[in-house]
Amino acid sequence: MSVLTVPTGRPRHKVRLLNRLAWFLVPAAPFLIVLALWALAGEIFKPSRQTLPPIGDVVAAIYELAVSGQLATNVAASLYRLLLGSLLGLVTGVIGGFIVGLNRKIAETLNPVVVFFNAISGIVWLPLMITWLGIGTALAVFLIWNTVFFIVFQNTALGVQLVSEVYEQGVRSLGGSRWETLRSVTLPGALPYILTGMRTGLGFGWRALIAAELVGAASGLGTMIFDAAEFHRSDIIIAGCLIIGTISIAMDRWLLLPIERRTVQRWGLVADAEKER
Amino acid sequence: MSLASASGAPGRPVGLPSGWAVAARQLRAVKILFPFLVLIAIWWAIDAAGNFSDRVLVSPKRVFDTVIMLISHGVLAEYVSTSLKIIGIASFISIVVGVPIGFAVGANRYAARSLEGFLRFLQGVSGIAWLPLVIIWFGFTHTTTLAIVIYTLIVPIIFNTMVGARAIPEQYELALRSLGAGRLRLITDVYLPGALPSIVVGLRLGMGYGWRALIAAEMLVRQGGLGDLIFGARTSGQIDRIIGGMIVIGALYLLIDRLLVQPIENLTIARWGVLRK
Repeated sequence: MSVLTVPTGRPRHKVRLLNRLAWFLVPAAPFLIVLALWALAGEIFKPSRQTLPPIGDVVAAIYELAVSGQLATNVAASLYRLLLGSLLGLVTGVIGGFIVGLNRKIAETLNPVVVFFNAISGIVWLPLMITWLGIGTALAVFLIWNTVFFIVFQNTALGVQLVSEVYEQGVRSLGGSRWETLRSVTLPGALPYILTGMRTGLGFGWRALIAAELVGAASGLGTMIFDAAEFHRSDIIIAGCLIIGTISIAMDRWLLLPIERRTVQRWGLVADAEKER
Repeated sequence: MSLASASGAPGRPVGLPSGWAVAARQLRAVKILFPFLVLIAIWWAIDAAGNFSDRVLVSPKRVFDTVIMLISHGVLAEYVSTSLKIIGIASFISIVVGVPIGFAVGANRYAARSLEGFLRFLQGVSGIAWLPLVIIWFGFTHTTTLAIVIYTLIVPIIFNTMVGARAIPEQYELALRSLGAGRLRLITDVYLPGALPSIVVGLRLGMGYGWRALIAAEMLVRQGGLGDLIFGARTSGQIDRIIGGMIVIGALYLLIDRLLVQPIENLTIARWGVLRK
């Protein structure tokens, strides 16, 4: 757009440049405001280090955690669980979603059970699963699987049901086998829904993981902040929260969004992914 | 029904159509209950065959008896009311505070852009991750739980209100303004109806996150509520209480979702003719 418009005067051009700069910088504003308020609160109320540590303490805590290798260990433990649980959830959810999506009878029969178990998916299983699986990776993986599964399952079933029958009939009448139809029509047709399910599922899964790690694990980011609470190390808690948020954003931005966008572009379908401005 | 009895010939059972309706309803109920009955039968069979200790698995009947006992002693009502009160207050505050913020931010594209990233970040740090810090601030109290649930609920509400407000075509606003509509009229006739479907989506997502955050927070704060019920039962190995509590949690969530949130959603869609997807 800026290439096409001929700058008519210097001031105007300057304003546009300024606007662009503002547009680019503006996402940082809320973070800066929070930092300013935080610093201000520290100056005015002079809270104890346990209540509200100074910003410097939190930065130091992050540095300390990173240097000592604690951070890497805990992040790796959390991500490993998330990966395992989500992969299981994705695979079982897609398979289940296909079976249900392709068969109306099964879908109708199973629906009430799915709705109910979806309502208690995730953290609600924690007490029962601690008794059955004990504290550790299996527990966290189960909770993530349980969370991701239902979201992916329901989205896949919906996507499969929404694929227009005309396309399937088209491929079949051209001699495509049942398998061929599934692979080249139903799967790509349902893919945007599967990916939306995956994205939402990972959001819920990440929460379930942190909650599970608070009580049900010996390592991981949740354990890290929960242990810090015992020693009233607020700096580590806040550092942990910042890291948890950053990882979550990074996963969404650099992993899920690109995959989603690519598939949506590839098959020319519009999912309700956010519009780029 | 009255129509049928008026036209009913003598000798013919008068209530036949209504009888059919009842039968159809019963059939529907059976259809919904059937998969659950199968599950309970499997559970019963496993319990009977495995000869498990009471700390690992108990029979469905034991769970049923326990739930009846909890109800008749009034214990369950107390746990349920604690949880419902918190989620109710949290939803109210989140809507009252979150919706205006969402509109205010949505009205300006710079503000919207600046807050988008921040809100995404907040959503990435699940409420439960802040729990250790909030416990330091407010102790093991209901205030802590409430703060966590509000944090979890309000972010999707602000975010979706903002998105909804941004998606309203400017022409609507301009058209009303050129006809002399005031600010209030714009809010009631353009912004609110235009953004409402999106707000409700936010509320529903928020309830999904918030309900889980509530249960998880109650597990750790241990001041009553359904999370406390099932997590407390774990320490004493009362599997019947855990499973009974899980069933109550699931049923309650479905009740809230079906009787409160979904009707609102249907109402907004029917009223303003907006279809999702």
